[in-house]
Amino acid sequence: MTQPADFEPRLVGFLCNWCSYAGADMTGTSRIPYPANIRIIRVPCSGRVDPLFVLKAFQEGADGVLVAGCHPGDCHYADGNFHAQRRYSLMHRFLDYMGIEEGRLRVDWVSASEGARFAQVVRELTKAVRDLGPWNGHKAGRQDGTSSKSEAPT
Amino acid sequence: MTDLTEIAEQIQSQARKLLSSDEADVVIGYETGPRGITRPFFAYKPDEVERLTWNDHCSHNLVTFLRDWKQPRAKGQEAPRVGIVVKACDARALNVLLQEKQIERERVHVIGVVCGGMRDDNREEQARCVRCAERAPVVYDTLIGEPEVVPAHAGWAGVEALEAMSARERLAYWVEQFERCLRCYACRQACPGCYCYECLAEQVDPLWVDIGIDFPQKYFFHIMRAYHLAGRCADCDECERVCPVNIPLSLLNRRIAREITELFDYTPGLSPDEASPLTTFLPNEELPL
Repeated sequence: MTQPADFEPRLVGFLCNWCSYAGADMTGTSRIPYPANIRIIRVPCSGRVDPLFVLKAFQEGADGVLVAGCHPGDCHYADGNFHAQRRYSLMHRFLDYMGIEEGRLRVDWVSASEGARFAQVVRELTKAVRDLGPWNGHKAGRQDGTSSKSEAPT
Repeated sequence: MTDLTEIAEQIQSQARKLLSSDEADVVIGYETGPRGITRPFFAYKPDEVERLTWNDHCSHNLVTFLRDWKQPRAKGQEAPRVGIVVKACDARALNVLLQEKQIERERVHVIGVVCGGMRDDNREEQARCVRCAERAPVVYDTLIGEPEVVPAHAGWAGVEALEAMSARERLAYWVEQFERCLRCYACRQACPGCYCYECLAEQVDPLWVDIGIDFPQKYFFHIMRAYHLAGRCADCDECERVCPVNIPLSLLNRRIAREITELFDYTPGLSPDEASPLTTFLPNEELPL
């Protein structure tokens, strides 16, 4: 698909305080470059990331979302990321079914020492979303408050 | 199959027994309204049970009403005891509520009815009944009717047709569907699983979904609602039936239900003890992400 040449994906990253946020910090202190497309939001745990956060990000115009937490078994709160794993095991494919391509959401595990890996994950997600193009669903449909007046099928 | 009037008589006699022996303060069932439409009916006195009926238009999932019967009617009283008529799909919804500790089992007398499949206004069997493989309720105190063998699950036809499209086509499809949505919340009100006192869609602080009726708000409201029902939806299709603009909401719920079945081999509502897979996890499991 051809994209506007100046398309820069807007990505939202929900990073857990204990591993992935520290991992992103490690990326910086190690001077590893990664795309500036991602806006990072620090959360206490990947288990805190309600799927609603992801939806809200897309509703507000994000082109892609990253959810990252500690590797399974390493959660600071023992099992938060297992809960996250269950929640997000359905999410990609359901969003895809609803018209938000699978590649726009990435759920991954990044530990505090994996600075290079964080950069790698962000690079991959940015590339995937760049290839997919802008997500315009939040601008779809009529936006003048009249859309409910359309006819129901008989 | 047991005769419909015979079932109605058995429901009536059971309701009379419950109300006259004070085992129940109310029996929730169906009656035929003045214009011939079957509607929910609340019998409070033994002499009202004559109005209870049973036919192939008993579509409503009465389990929804149980959330209004959790609190005592007056200060100092005990919470009311309820008799309720359920079909197979309603019984699954009831199990979901039992599992989530929303209902005290001992306060509810379940009159389970073996359902012969409900029909819509055009006398055609409803879609949920076509794909329903078990016509007998999974939870009951009194069972009415003989369980019968019915053909197995009819598959995921509508869901698969939509999956064959590309993501962009699907988005276009959903834009078309949700443009009609009025945000009347009938789907939510009819749903036995939607019992939050304050729905996220109506919360003002934090404001998750604002009051607008443009596509994005409606789209995300429905995705959110479907996801809240993930692993809990009993596939009673009430949301779709009550929708005034005919949005195929079951396509959302069934897509998630299929995923839950494939990933966790779980069907919501079969047992009051088994929690939804999205609220539990296994130690050290690895799932596709």
